[in-house]
Amino acid sequence: MNKDNIMEVKGLHKRFTSKGVTVKAVTDVSFSVKPGETIGIVGESGCGKTTLGRCIVRAYNASEGEVFYRTKGGEELDFLKADKKKMKEIRKEIQMIFQDPYSSLDPRMTVLDIIKEPLKANFPKMPKDEMDQRAKAMAEKVGLNPMYLMRYPHAFSGGQRQRIGIARALVIEPQIIVCDEAVSALDVSIQAQVINLLRDLQRELKLTYLFISHDLSVVEHISDKVGVMYLGRMVEFAPAELMFEKPMHPYTEALLSAVPVADPTVQMERIPLKGEIPNPANPPSGCYFHERCHYCIEKCRTDAPALTEMPDGRLCACHRAKELNLKGFVYDEGAGAAQ
Amino acid sequence: MNKENILEVKDLHVDIHMTEGLLTAVRGVNFEMKRGETLGLVGESGCGKSLTCKAILGINDRKCVPSGQILFDSEGLGKVDLLSLDQKGKEIRSIRGKEISMIFQEPMVAFSPMYTIGNQINEATKLHITKDKQKSKEISMDVMRKVGIANVEKRYNQYPHEFSGGMLQRALIAMALVCNPKMLIADEPTTALDVTIQAQILELMKELQKDFNMAILFITHDLGVVAKMCDRVAVMYLGKIVESAAASEIYANPQHPYTRGLIGSVHKIGSKKEDRLFSIEGTVPLAMNLPKACGFYDRCDVRIEGLCDKAEPELTEIAPGHKIACFNCPHEACRAQREKVEEALAKGALTQSPSEDPGPAKAVPKKKKGGAQ
Repeated sequence: MNKDNIMEVKGLHKRFTSKGVTVKAVTDVSFSVKPGETIGIVGESGCGKTTLGRCIVRAYNASEGEVFYRTKGGEELDFLKADKKKMKEIRKEIQMIFQDPYSSLDPRMTVLDIIKEPLKANFPKMPKDEMDQRAKAMAEKVGLNPMYLMRYPHAFSGGQRQRIGIARALVIEPQIIVCDEAVSALDVSIQAQVINLLRDLQRELKLTYLFISHDLSVVEHISDKVGVMYLGRMVEFAPAELMFEKPMHPYTEALLSAVPVADPTVQMERIPLKGEIPNPANPPSGCYFHERCHYCIEKCRTDAPALTEMPDGRLCACHRAKELNLKGFVYDEGAGAAQ
Repeated sequence: MNKENILEVKDLHVDIHMTEGLLTAVRGVNFEMKRGETLGLVGESGCGKSLTCKAILGINDRKCVPSGQILFDSEGLGKVDLLSLDQKGKEIRSIRGKEISMIFQEPMVAFSPMYTIGNQINEATKLHITKDKQKSKEISMDVMRKVGIANVEKRYNQYPHEFSGGMLQRALIAMALVCNPKMLIADEPTTALDVTIQAQILELMKELQKDFNMAILFITHDLGVVAKMCDRVAVMYLGKIVESAAASEIYANPQHPYTRGLIGSVHKIGSKKEDRLFSIEGTVPLAMNLPKACGFYDRCDVRIEGLCDKAEPELTEIAPGHKIACFNCPHEACRAQREKVEEALAKGALTQSPSEDPGPAKAVPKKKKGGAQ
């Protein structure tokens, strides 16, 4: 494991089998994360981004592969092979924020109890007063009024509930937070509040985020590096601005061209994709994307390209990555966001 | 009613009778639509955009009572006020689905899982166009082809679960277009879809709009989609339109603080990375027992104390086609309104100021009567 990294994912596979049919939800995904970074994972529904996130927090047991993790104490270990005792240690350091702020909170617990629950589970010997104090302090940090902590979740709006979810994840002071579509269910003005909050907390608490989302403009805003997934495979992994400005994988190019930009003067030429996403239980031969790709050559039909390092340091899984000159967004140096 | 217009909504209110009291979800909405244009209705959840479009078709829940006027230029009936029609009568039925049709948000939910896709598209054809089974089937299949469904003969007899989300949304569009409507209401038609599918569906809708010469009322909260699709935009907040203008104008020159906040809180891909997003503080208040004040007062960063919390601004035209409802706008028309209201306030005519919009003035006492608290 590299000294600079907090986490390294190597050759991660996850297969689900049901009624004799095996679906490869995640196939051979590798990437590394530095402390304090935000990694965005994007892709269409069914591409395996949520499964990947769940494998990383070990909510699912991965079928194959390794996830190396460096604990606060500096210990390196393979997360997926850790025993129960070690697991408990690591769980304190990796937490998750869920998509739906309505179903991820127990309606029969008060907000204070919800925020305290991780403390009870992980530090059973902690005195009650301290637990209360910590939960209250965390609630304040995420912008909840401590007066309202004895209320139940139904009394809160979507944005406030997401803040409760964030407080619950942060109360045991983790290092890594997996945010699975954490802002997708929120309205735009509330979305901006929560994104700003996540960013402030990251600076203050030196958090590392794995930000899973289908919303490319949110991902571009929040991420340092972005991974694009297609049919269970990571097809490109690059610094955010580099990827949005100059994608190297044809799928990334098509995905970017489909994003509606909130500015009528920007008219992107859309690169249409042929057909639909193939069935993951019966993926195509060779490169999974070849049937829909405009740049497909004979080799793509038979050989699956591996995720390899490109001259500029990014990772890309395409036979023709180096020769293709793909279009991304034109970065406008002068103008900021419309105000 | 203006000849160019196909639809005029005048002072539309929608009241919802709840056990807690009366909730006025739509509080005096005015807009008009020209033939063949796309109007975007933008706003956050709970601002009343869906209720507005459901009121047009008369498909609101029984608890939601609309009032006001919705004038529609119908082919069969001439100019009619849709709200004055019996909501279960013959007249509205001849308009609903034939002259005005609707695309719903979730294609998975909009179709019945019990019937084949063809059967469900056929329903409208048989009701409005022809009783002949063979002919109506042909018409339905034709529209299915037009919206880009391949292998129609096989698809016609399939059930919704055999379709992917994008294909199902195409089928839903086919169902809406089968009677060649003059107006289409699209309630968040692509929110449930992936970006690549969304782009396909939006392009399809644009193409079909040209072919059919339809007016589209496009309801969404996604400002990116609006930028791509709409000619004009109306921004709604708390049951009222706070700003309306041409799409290019609203992005380049937003005037209302809410519109500015909304546009600022979306990160624009391709723009320089800003450290923090602009965010509007607070949350949308519940439209119950509202004080007689600007609905945006609590969250506004340019509010004027003693004015914005005492009176409600009306929609005022500041440039051709550009209207806003705000007191704190440097434009002449807005200043004139502000001075008028300030004068009225100074006289102490708080409750019955003559310069006020009669709509909300009527609505306020109603709310007090129904209010539980």
